Parts: sequence; C-alpha cells; structure tokens
Amino acid sequence: MTAARGRFEEIYDAHVVPIYRFIYARVGNRPDAEDLTAQVFMRAVEQLDTERDEGQIVSWLYRVSQNAIADHWRAFYRLPLVGTEQVAPGWEPAAVEPSGAAAEADAPDADRSHIRVQSLLHRLPAHYARVLELRFLQRLSVAETADEMGITRGNAKVLQYRALRKAALLGEADG
Amino acid sequence: MADERVPEPRELRPDEADAVERFERYLDALLADGRPSPEDVADVDEAEMARTAAELSAAAVPESLEPDAAFVEQLRLRMRQADQGIASVQVPPPVRPRPVEPEPRGRLRITRRQLLGTGLAGAAGLAAGALGASVLGVGRNAPDGTPIWDDGSGLVAGQGFWAPVASVADVPPGGAVRFSTAAFDGYVVNDAGEIRALSSVCTHMGCTLHFRPDWQDLRCPCHGASFDLKGDLANGRDRWRQTGGYRGDAHAYDVALPPLVRPKVKIEGDQVFVWTAQV
Repeated sequence: MTAARGRFEEIYDAHVVPIYRFIYARVGNRPDAEDLTAQVFMRAVEQLDTERDEGQIVSWLYRVSQNAIADHWRAFYRLPLVGTEQVAPGWEPAAVEPSGAAAEADAPDADRSHIRVQSLLHRLPAHYARVLELRFLQRLSVAETADEMGITRGNAKVLQYRALRKAALLGEADG
Repeated sequence: MADERVPEPRELRPDEADAVERFERYLDALLADGRPSPEDVADVDEAEMARTAAELSAAAVPESLEPDAAFVEQLRLRMRQADQGIASVQVPPPVRPRPVEPEPRGRLRITRRQLLGTGLAGAAGLAAGALGASVLGVGRNAPDGTPIWDDGSGLVAGQGFWAPVASVADVPPGGAVRFSTAAFDGYVVNDAGEIRALSSVCTHMGCTLHFRPDWQDLRCPCHGASFDLKGDLANGRDRWRQTGGYRGDAHAYDVALPPLVRPKVKIEGDQVFVWTAQV
C-alpha cells in the first residue's frame, strides 16, 4: 500500500508539469488548465495501473488529457459530454500509442505552438495579423490596440473578430 | 504605427455587432488568464475561433505554461487523500438534513454558514480548500475570539480573513458569480434574495461545478451531480423519491453526496465578503 502510493506520487511528480503545459497550450487559461489537470490525475488515482511501464503510463496520461480537453471544448461546441470515464475505461493496449509519440508531446510544446502561431500570423492579411499580434502577443487592450492601429475601438473589435474567424479557418486547414 | 491603411469594416448588422461584443467577453476573460464562459460562444464557428484564440493566447506567453506551485501541491494532497480514502469517496455518508433557517427579514439575508464545513473529512472534495483546511486546527476561535463552529454539519474552524469576492450588484436574485481566493474556489449565489457562498468543487470527485441559470443549480460536468443553491444535492435518488424528480435531469443521480462546502458570508456596503482560510 505504502509502496504503491509512493509510486503514484513518483508518477505525479514526473508528469504533472508536462501534462499541465500540454493542457494549458490547448485551453489557454489557468483556471481551466488546473481543473483539467486535476481531473486527469484524480482519474489516474482511480484507474491507472501503476505497475505498467513508463511508456504506457505516459500514453495513458496523455490520452486521458486529450479526452479531458475534448470534453472541455464540447461545452463550447454545444456537444454532449462523453466523460473521461467512458472514453478511457482502463487499459486498452491496442489503443495505446507508442510511448515515443506521447513522450515527444512532453517538452517542446511551447516551442511548437509558438512556431504554429508565427506561421499562422504570416498567412493572414497584414491588418488581421497585426490586430492579433497586438492583442495576443503584446497583450494590449482593445482600446490600446485601436489607438496603435489608428482605428476606432469598435472597428478594432470587429477586426479582431474577423481575424480570429480567418485564423480558425486556416488552422482547420492545417488539421 | 498606422502606416498601412486598415480597411474600414463594412457596416455591421445589429446581430453581428452583438456577436462581436459577446465574443469580446470571451476574449477578455481569456486574455486575463481567467475562465471564459461557453455562454459567450454562440456557434461552431465561434467555438473554432475560441479555440484558436486559446492556442494563440497560450503560445504568446510561454511563462503561463508553468503551473502554479501552490496548485501542484494542493493537487498532490487531494490525490493522496483520494488514494487513501477512495472507498469512502465512492460511498459517501448520507446527506444530513439542514436545520430550518429563520425567515428572512430584509430583502438580502446572509446565512450564518460556516467556514469550511466538510462532510467526509475533506476526502477528495475539498480541492482548493484542502490545503487551508489541513493546516488549520479544529476548534480554534475566530480572530475576534468567538468560536466559529458550524451547525453540526462537520467543520473546520481556524484562522482566516474576510476576502471581498463580489459586489452585491453582481448577483441579482437567481444569479451567481465565481470567485477565487488563495485557499478557496467557489460561487457567490443569490438564492431568491439570500446571498450565499458555495464551494465550486463537487463533493464526489472534485470536478469544478458549472452554474446553470435555467435550473438554478451547480452542475458537475464529470458525473452529472447537480447541487441546488443551498449546496445540497438536487438530483439525488432520495430527493427524487420525495419530490418526484428533478426538472434538470431525466434520471436520478445514483450516489448520495454530502452538501457543498459553505463558507461564511457577510455584506458590507456593496461588497460581498467570504470568510476564507489563510494559506
């Protein structure tokens, strides 16, 4: 019992930060990233077989994280929740990804998403890229963004809305 | 910097203008690193935009990818508790009846609910409150010397302070707003004129509850428990039998759950304060 618990905390220590980053990169805010990270590890307490090898444990954690992220976005898409317990009922060896792929998701997450963002901005019309850069990268308010671009506040909001719509379409095309 | 001409957007239809304003609320929450609401996202197209915005936002501020150290420690405690008490989490004690409250006098009345009333010794449920609770002794007095015991629903007393969490105007009757202190995450709710604070942590497995204005409940996204604005399980089997079903659900919730943690609340001026543990 004690040994098993020790093992569990080892797993937690090794993976809580990469799992949190993985989730944060996909939900973009701290409260939701914390909730989903908590869900993943609380689920792990219930279901994760700590005797499995490291690769399988990592795969399991990322799979449950992906399900949790998908469920998070289902609320925004007005889709019914699937629930992590149904998606990941336990060990399904056939469905477990090779450990290499999952482990790769670990570290360079920030770098990869940064590159994706840059390439996305480059493919947008200049004023769209500019409004997103000011708002998201430089974190200016709508009013500051409007001043910087020499447009009204209302127009800055509209521009930003359209820029995101265009960016979402480009992002979809990327897959 | 406006050297390149920005094309003027064509005249917006009123519904488009509304959409832009509404979606701006999503972006404001997101860019403040807060929790955006699905309510501000109207359709699948906007959901795609919301997701793009979330990814952009995360990529733009690499430091934000680091978890908060206090969060990591709190989650560790929760997991340890869940790991140790997993049997008791799955079979929680029955919901205890709450004593009847006296009739409200004014329009607003504040419940004398307790700091951290925990049903099953915290178990998995306490979430953010767990750290605060575990460092506090039981049976201490409030700073002013008065004992701060609850009405017997199980409690943790201790040192804390009044944290301003909302203004009264934020919570009209039937409304709710989320708040977060260092030790506690919850909702301030206005239950037909009575302002109350409730934990936002489901007492089953610790998922975060969502407020549903239509049903006047706090809903757990994980397994579908609903808590009423008094903090009691609204869709449990017992209640289902007594009251003939719950409008917000087609089926009764299988497991009896302890009520939500209800910290003390006071109102001063226009501010709602919640008694929260010192961390």
